[in-house]
Amino acid sequence: MKYSLLLNNQRVEVEAPGDISLLKLLREYLHLTGTKEGCDVGECGACSVLLDGKLVNSCMVLAAQAADREVITIEGVCLPDGSPNDLQQAFIRYGAVQCGFCTPGMILAGEALLADNPQPTRTEIREAIAGNLCRCTGYQQIVDAIEQTSLSRKEKKGHA
Amino acid sequence: MESFETIRATSVSEAMTLLNEPGLRSRALAGATDIMLLLRHDPHYCDRLVDISLIPELRKIEEQNGRVIIGAAATFNEVMESPLVQQTAPALVQACHSVGAVQIRNMGTLGGNVVNAAACADSLPALICLDASTSILTPAGGQSMPVSRFVTRPNHTLLPSGGLLLSLSYPIPASGSRSAFLKLGRRNAMAISRLTVAALGRLNDDGRIAEARLVTGSATPSIERLAAVEELLLGEAPSDLLFNLAARATVAEMLRLSGRRWSSEYKIPALEAMTARILGQVFPLAAA
Amino acid sequence: MPEYRFIGKPADRVDALEKVLGSAMYIADYFVPGMLLARTIRSTLPHARIKRIDLSAALKIPGVVAAITSEDFVNHGRFGYPVEDMFMLAYERARYVGDGIVSIAAETESALQQAVDAAVIELEELPAVFDMTHALDPSSALIGEQPADAEGYPRGNLLNQYAVRKGDPAHELSTCAVTLEAEYSTMHQEHAYLEPEGALAIPESDGSLTVYASCQSPFLNRANLVKVLGLPEGRVRVIQPVVGGAFGGKDDLMYQISAQVARLAQLTGRPVKMILPREESMIASYKRDAMQMHIQLGADASGRLRASRIHALVDSGAYSSITPFTAWRSSIHAMGPYRYDACHVDTDVVYTNNGYSGAFRGFGNAEVCFAIESAMDELALKLGIDPIDLRLQNCLLPCDITAHGQKLGDDVGLAECLDEVRRLSGWQHKHPLYTSEASKAPIPGELRRGIGVAALFHGISLGAEGADFAAGTLEVNPDYSLTLTSGLTDYGTGSRTTFTLIAAETLGLDPNRFVMPRPDTNSAQDSGPTVASRATVLGGNATRVTAEQLSQLLNQAAADLFACRPAEIIRHGELFIGPGEEPASFEKVVDHARKIGLALSSRGRWSAPEISWSMQKGQGKPYFAYHYGAQVAEVLVDTGTGKVDVTGFWAVHNTGKVIFPQGAYGQLFGGIAQGLGYALMERVDFDQGYLQATNFDEYLIPTSMDIPDIQGEFVEKPFSAGPYGAKNLGETGLVPAAPAIVNAIANATGRRIRSLPANLERVLLGRDLRKEGSSTACKLGLK
Repeated sequence: MKYSLLLNNQRVEVEAPGDISLLKLLREYLHLTGTKEGCDVGECGACSVLLDGKLVNSCMVLAAQAADREVITIEGVCLPDGSPNDLQQAFIRYGAVQCGFCTPGMILAGEALLADNPQPTRTEIREAIAGNLCRCTGYQQIVDAIEQTSLSRKEKKGHA
Repeated sequence: MESFETIRATSVSEAMTLLNEPGLRSRALAGATDIMLLLRHDPHYCDRLVDISLIPELRKIEEQNGRVIIGAAATFNEVMESPLVQQTAPALVQACHSVGAVQIRNMGTLGGNVVNAAACADSLPALICLDASTSILTPAGGQSMPVSRFVTRPNHTLLPSGGLLLSLSYPIPASGSRSAFLKLGRRNAMAISRLTVAALGRLNDDGRIAEARLVTGSATPSIERLAAVEELLLGEAPSDLLFNLAARATVAEMLRLSGRRWSSEYKIPALEAMTARILGQVFPLAAA
Repeated sequence: MPEYRFIGKPADRVDALEKVLGSAMYIADYFVPGMLLARTIRSTLPHARIKRIDLSAALKIPGVVAAITSEDFVNHGRFGYPVEDMFMLAYERARYVGDGIVSIAAETESALQQAVDAAVIELEELPAVFDMTHALDPSSALIGEQPADAEGYPRGNLLNQYAVRKGDPAHELSTCAVTLEAEYSTMHQEHAYLEPEGALAIPESDGSLTVYASCQSPFLNRANLVKVLGLPEGRVRVIQPVVGGAFGGKDDLMYQISAQVARLAQLTGRPVKMILPREESMIASYKRDAMQMHIQLGADASGRLRASRIHALVDSGAYSSITPFTAWRSSIHAMGPYRYDACHVDTDVVYTNNGYSGAFRGFGNAEVCFAIESAMDELALKLGIDPIDLRLQNCLLPCDITAHGQKLGDDVGLAECLDEVRRLSGWQHKHPLYTSEASKAPIPGELRRGIGVAALFHGISLGAEGADFAAGTLEVNPDYSLTLTSGLTDYGTGSRTTFTLIAAETLGLDPNRFVMPRPDTNSAQDSGPTVASRATVLGGNATRVTAEQLSQLLNQAAADLFACRPAEIIRHGELFIGPGEEPASFEKVVDHARKIGLALSSRGRWSAPEISWSMQKGQGKPYFAYHYGAQVAEVLVDTGTGKVDVTGFWAVHNTGKVIFPQGAYGQLFGGIAQGLGYALMERVDFDQGYLQATNFDEYLIPTSMDIPDIQGEFVEKPFSAGPYGAKNLGETGLVPAAPAIVNAIANATGRRIRSLPANLERVLLGRDLRKEGSSTACKLGLK
């Protein structure tokens, strides 16, 4: 079938089978490989994307369900010039990245949280990333990175 | 080439037409979180999926005639964030909150949880505790039945072929009621329930129990209000002793309904502790 | 301590940018034109004779291009180290559920699935062994091979035996005022790297092969490929893409996958890629070994430890893999970091049909640390001594002699770790409080607090397990950047950043000038396997030596420029200063070197200090040095349900100088998280050889909600043989976490759990309950 979606703020059209997951559509037909497959059963969160602004596991969404809707993947998080945004920079600075396989999903989970709740507590941050497994970091530096981004965004807003 | 097709319905009537086309095995698709797992092992599970998740009237959460009506395609997150549900049914809010993590709660729906009817479905004990009913549309017309009757046993419901669950509704509990839900899992998020308990209670003016409802999950093959326990509580004054008696009665009901299993040795003391605890939450003890 | 410019200072990981942008290329992200997809058909029986394989029907399916068996490899693809008992595809016998038998390459996934369904593999079920305590019974089926190999093992199902011998513990124990005797057990553990295994082989036009493999050790991979493909070394190139976690788990199975796609690529002349689905990864991959440990400890009434006697049994599963090394390491660490008058350790390693065991972070020490640190707490209770005091009274100190007869150096900092973790955690106040709370009669269903400690020592690098060296290269590029390589790889640990900082510090050049390309056997130098906490000390020293050599070349060029002696050159930042002249920039010195024909490249190699171990005497110097540490866990136990929440965690580790702090904390926190999973929830259940949990819905690892904020500190006592005084730390965070948590549970409840994991049932009932096992998950996962 022919899919049309608003992907990372661009209208895209692609021909692909009608019975595949959004994850497969993104990776194999749209060549956006930043979205990772870790379990294919909705348990690890490595394939997290934003669907109409909501965090979802793209392995648990049929591509057909995403048709004509807005999808943001990790490739759509950076600044227009391709450089990392503030949350991505915080992930680098606070050591939130080790093997990096969970990182795209974690960053999207962080963005989804901060859009919803700009001043989360550490517990709220932990809850917001609870569907994103990480085997390397023990999560602490990821929580640090999200917390620091929330603080710096607040400060920026205050100055604006 | 494709093992099934997916069609998005924009209205209930369109969904009904799509679901009832002769010669096709059709299934309604809402949050997809259960169906994707079935399709993974059996791509030929059905011929057509009818995506009902974006039909506006199936996402509504509203109050009508003293009942809260929740569209079947409302997601767990929408239910738990609804002020109406928060005011009237903390047990349901807590149950939805305990499902998976953000990703699952953003896609998974209350209706899907009920229709899939997993033995460990977190919403079922809360809904049954709230005396919730289903509203079903079939090609022959509409019908309604309590959730406790609709779900017959794990993974089995009375949803007729070609039928669509439209909504779930519960009567708004009398003022002064409290409800709660407790879940026990092997970790603090993304956990399958080992045991759940939902309870609702109300005291009369002289501090005695005027209403008591108790439902357990992941404990018995069919989920229902435990009448024997509720009777034991009614008319009594809340006390730790009473809660412990009720907790023991709850365990006796679990054993009566499901017999002894490999896990019974664990579930007996654990359910007893959880029951006593939840009763303490819905029936506040008078200040000593 | 000297002041450094880059070492120990805030730095960014060299590979973090591509990872946060989502542009880092993992193996599954490679799509090349004409690429075939491959899958391996695996045994659904725990032990079977391969009677007949008929692939004719499978090969007739449109889109199916090639299929291979063990017959397609030289010597049936036999490989393995230290025991050559594995095959690239099972030969004659399949020895565990998940053992690969046939690999197929096809154009599409659906053709591949049809081929898998059409392939005929007739298996004749053989008797199997699942209980390690009966593996050595004369009546047990034989899993290992006969006869013994040249090294003297294996002998039937006995893979090997290890011993430590000091004095006569039986005699000492008979005269001790207080003794303890207890049995402990640990389960297998799944690595659960978020990225499953995968490899891509590309046949080149000159007949050579390039293999991209998500493996830990590209050089070992190439050595195996050369052996089983019959190609000369120069014709096989292994490149490691970005690896999504390994923790010891991406060796043997990755070599098999690499060989399978390589052979299929050779036969078809096309690129072939294989990516394992999670279920296949969990079923086919090796695990941490399971162990049973019987411990006797004896002390005098004042708490002075006098003797330990330990007997351990290790389940290696169906193949040896690296278990002889992990088991040897466990025997060396089994008595813990304490002084004894007498100590005997005996370890038996056996074959069973429970999958197979191999390397996993902690490498034998996580298992025995759980046992000895639990036993120390039990002994402390008997003696009426505070658990930290008992450890402080007996722990190894600088220049002590260990139970192995090894005289330690001045780098030992365990007492400092114990003191500091006591202070950080508020132990002095909490331990007596929680102990007195636990002694009161329980109120039904109440929540109880507990606090527990565990200490560790961990031998650095391979020890007497194998040749211990590393090598590196450095080269100044035309654009004045520098290319640094190491034969030790970075699969998420941060070692590339550590090496970059060491090279920058040594050369006095900005870290941003350095580039570390993906590990590639064509450009890097063989450095042995990247396992066993080797990277920082071995790779770091090799980098330092390589950088020192280049630094000398640069000084030589500067001296020529300034017409002075190299020894007169002084460095300031990136500047080279000679006597009485304007300083020269790095660029100017490089230009001058080129002008005078001085090649600015270096190769360095560092070999670890001498070690020795006598298997006969059970004495020697097993490791050149040890890392020490102490951890404290605080828990809240729901006595109604057995649910345990870890509410606080403190870790103090004696690491030597910390080179890359962000990475060091990351290793510490991540290790503790894996140890927390090991302690409370992770279970690899084999039932009749069938794995019960095959994906993350059943195999539970900790989420962000299961781990508290951890407070970590490092005791930076410099280690003279380490680069800039550093020791390794990759494995050590994990090792004491489980006993610290289980000791805290015992403190809260008064009940001792001697088997891992301390799950709901064990905490509430004191024993485990097991659901009836089934083969369904495995059969579905391998379909």
